[in-house]
Amino acid sequence: MKAILSALALFFCTTLAFAQAPAPPDAASKLAIDGHVWGALIFATNDASQLTGAKEPIHAELPKLNERLAKVFPFKHFGILGQHRQDILREYESWVVPSRELFMKIDSKGPADNGGVNLHLQVWREQQVLVKSDAVLRKGSPLFIGGPPWKEGRLIFVLFLERK
Amino acid sequence: MKHPSEEHDLIRWIDGEMNETERTTFEERLKLDPVLATEARQMRALSASLRVHLPAEMKVPHADYFNTQIGVRISQMAQDDARAKQTSPGFGAILQWFRQPWFALAGAAALAVLGFFLVNTASGGASESMILSSYTPNTNVQARTYHDDGAEATVLMLDGLDAVPAERKVSGINIQRSEVEPELASTTMYDTKGIAVLMISRDALGNPMLTPRG
Repeated sequence: MKAILSALALFFCTTLAFAQAPAPPDAASKLAIDGHVWGALIFATNDASQLTGAKEPIHAELPKLNERLAKVFPFKHFGILGQHRQDILREYESWVVPSRELFMKIDSKGPADNGGVNLHLQVWREQQVLVKSDAVLRKGSPLFIGGPPWKEGRLIFVLFLERK
Repeated sequence: MKHPSEEHDLIRWIDGEMNETERTTFEERLKLDPVLATEARQMRALSASLRVHLPAEMKVPHADYFNTQIGVRISQMAQDDARAKQTSPGFGAILQWFRQPWFALAGAAALAVLGFFLVNTASGGASESMILSSYTPNTNVQARTYHDDGAEATVLMLDGLDAVPAERKVSGINIQRSEVEPELASTTMYDTKGIAVLMISRDALGNPMLTPRG
């Protein structure tokens, strides 16, 4: 019995240490990659007091993002709730999860012209897929996805192909 | 064996279709040709018998339908003729264009202009992201896609989605990188400090499963 308890204690200690320690070298770097994306969940509202106060920085390659969003969505204030930088894996599905409420699955369908990449996208809301799309994502041309209403505003998913 | 022209003359004689001269000439031949005369006599008897037993006029069965179909057919033929008259001159005119000496120069110029527009259109469209197709499993949700030049963005607008309850806290995550474990079909996600903050895998139904749960 003591032996079993000791083994369990060792297992939990090892697991805890692994969880708290800095991540090991990037194993994903061994996988073939078709590009890099930045995904963000943004809350748009006309009532500034509804913003969550999150101070997530805007991607450096997306200048004037709020102004650009305002040209599509009829709101005055935009706040980044969460963001995710993700490699587009050639052989495996890639997940972009800037929040637990709204996230995206990406399957690469290979390179496109002008440095773009052909993708199959799925936008998920928890356990429900909202939309499935085939798309060509190109550098410098973000994709704005108008999501569900929330409070008196709207959730927006932004997907952007990074230049690196 | 009778010559075909003799048989034709015989039929015309029986039916009374010969003029005076032809009938006289034919009856002179009958006097000289006993075989032909015998056959003429037999056929005339047969013809007379048929006339006795069959009415001179027969009513057309389903005459209304018959007349209607005739009318339809005449109308179709008239339309075919009109179409042929419209098409033929046009095609002929095109052929005439090809024969003109200036056509080669004009054609080259038109191709150059067309090529210019095609190249410009292609280069303009090829720098933008594009939504090629969209499918929303929920039939109450509509997906609209367009490119907004002012925003310099491609838009996929999902209309008809249920609102997230206002009292629900929607919180974000900042993920800097992730690691895929193909054997486990899971992805572990790390924040900017390199700490694992989230793992995503699939449940038995294939739906994404986030750990830890929010």
